[in-house]
Amino acid sequence: MAESGAFKTLNDKDVVSTRTLLHEAIPITGTIVSGTYGDNNIKNPSHGMFQSVYDYPYLSSSANHIFDITVGIGTQSGLTITSQADKKKNIYNQMAQLLVGYDHTGSIQRFDEDGNIVGGGKKLDDVFIIPFSRLLVKDEIKKGTFQLELGIDDAYDNGGAIFNSRILISDQSGSNGYFVNSPVGEYGVLYATASTHTAALALDQSYAVGLLYYQAGIAVISGSVFNDAAIGGILNNALNSTDLIGQGAVGFSSVSASTTQTIASGIRNRIYNVQFNNTTELNSTIYFCRANHQEFNYSTNPTYTNASKIRVKTNSTDEPVSYITTIGLYNDKNELMATAKLSEPLKKTPSTEFTIRCRLDY
Amino acid sequence: MGFLDNSGDIILDVVLTDHGRKELSKGDGSFKITKFALGDEEIDYSLFNSSHASGSSYYDLSILQTPILEAFTDNAASMKTKLVTYENLELLFLPVLELNELQGIDRRHATSGSFIVAVDRYTEDDDETGTGKGIGLVEGKPVPGVIFGESLDRGSMIVIDQGLDTSQISTKQTIDPDLRETEYTIQIDNRFGSIIDPQGNQLELSYIDDDDIAYYVVSEEEATAVQSISNLTKANESPVAGPRGSRLKFKIKSSMDLNTSTYLFTTLGGESILDNEAGTGTTVYHIDSMVRITGMNTGYSLDIPVRFVKYKS
Repeated sequence: MAESGAFKTLNDKDVVSTRTLLHEAIPITGTIVSGTYGDNNIKNPSHGMFQSVYDYPYLSSSANHIFDITVGIGTQSGLTITSQADKKKNIYNQMAQLLVGYDHTGSIQRFDEDGNIVGGGKKLDDVFIIPFSRLLVKDEIKKGTFQLELGIDDAYDNGGAIFNSRILISDQSGSNGYFVNSPVGEYGVLYATASTHTAALALDQSYAVGLLYYQAGIAVISGSVFNDAAIGGILNNALNSTDLIGQGAVGFSSVSASTTQTIASGIRNRIYNVQFNNTTELNSTIYFCRANHQEFNYSTNPTYTNASKIRVKTNSTDEPVSYITTIGLYNDKNELMATAKLSEPLKKTPSTEFTIRCRLDY
Repeated sequence: MGFLDNSGDIILDVVLTDHGRKELSKGDGSFKITKFALGDEEIDYSLFNSSHASGSSYYDLSILQTPILEAFTDNAASMKTKLVTYENLELLFLPVLELNELQGIDRRHATSGSFIVAVDRYTEDDDETGTGKGIGLVEGKPVPGVIFGESLDRGSMIVIDQGLDTSQISTKQTIDPDLRETEYTIQIDNRFGSIIDPQGNQLELSYIDDDDIAYYVVSEEEATAVQSISNLTKANESPVAGPRGSRLKFKIKSSMDLNTSTYLFTTLGGESILDNEAGTGTTVYHIDSMVRITGMNTGYSLDIPVRFVKYKS
């Protein structure tokens, strides 16, 4: 039997909760990072500990923060740091304790090249770190979609020549080979491969060069991607190490006597492309609003009647007709919590039934 | 809000209302959707042409082409007219709400066309000091359409009658129980006033939304504001021409803000001149507002214009 009146109660079967993962592609071309706006979209905080990159000159209210670049040098690094040594160490320790955590003695653990923290192996002590903004990452970076392409030509240049040789850093095994032993969620190993010609790397293989923390949206990348094999890097000796800041082809060791922001600018100018897919977790409640054949066939619209007579009927035996344009969702005190609009009126008669599916996302 | 794209598949644009977001933010479980209603506020049923020369397929062509706006987030601006369910599919007449101005002084003010709420004693009757500046009395009698917002004991009230407004059915016929309204919602801007019954008792406030609109729910069970008028059959007893259902009667009590300050008047209103006891003219501050009455069972609603006034000079 139909409920008389304007409201219909939703029963348990009319309300369903669902969870959906929504993905967006996030492409960031190198020209936005270094060139399109000069350096007007680059903010260097006075404390000098990182550099921020915006998608538009940052003084504009239209600008969105997209990522930061900073440098971390661990206490066990082989480099002798003469510029901002404490700040670079502090950044490393801050990131390591946040992303890797502590060992059983309470000591901060170091970034591990292959992600196997307990198993030992090679540690990453000279790293640059790219924390992406929440605006881009949303709930997490989709595993297996991250790609960072860097120009590794040895010449120092802010133009296109530095992109003659490039490497591609990706989480190629991310979708099925990620780790879960980080305090901030899941992470995968970043591998470098040659993207322009195979001779760019010391060996024609993939090199583990960093870690990508999916939920945190932070990439930690070894400075070895700018070093040739002769000084412990991954690049072909014939190509030399990269000249990041115009102090010669010394690779990432130029971090020793340069500020974090100088190095960050050098790295930023070598970003050819960054892309990944983000993930938004949508929790939805779906309300199935069922208008059965004998329900909602009359209207309280003032134009529905003329001197109380229903306009759409000539005789009492004519079918009543109404038109649905809006759905109102109410709580038990008849307070309007949500509204939904149909893009065109739906004709409702005693011969028709509708189930209108209203989804609210949280 | 823009129009929804109606060139292809039917789409549904769902949003939380501002009041819904407020309830959700409380985190106390008050945001729980338990029922729904369907609305048709864009539809003009007078476009239904049952004598269209091309046949029945064309009767509602104009209605079906009505463009629909995106959903409003203001809860008070949505779902003003609802679809209703009646078991009887052979109804030819539906009940309406009508302002009853047939009795005594309970009618709109003659010059303003709205009910006037005098917000303090001086505006009502110059506090009986004899200066003749009050606008609520003329020759010692209450002026029709003036509600005494502070003293509450005299003045007009608002009377709404419900029933089938058709002369084709005798007033002696009993209205179908499904068509008889027993419960009403009254909406008023809470900054300006509150709703009281004819005896001056405060009616129970249901809630106040984020836009400061107060909602009062009154039912026949309480009997002070709602009463049956099924037994009234004479033409001069109700504006409803056919079978009568129920009658809602209420007054408006002015808020403390309006009673004690001119701030809202100077911010939101204007000035006008009303006749006074002395036969000259009293300049008053005024704010024009609206009180909306909605039948909870039949869904029909009616807007009553109300002007709040305060003595200036």
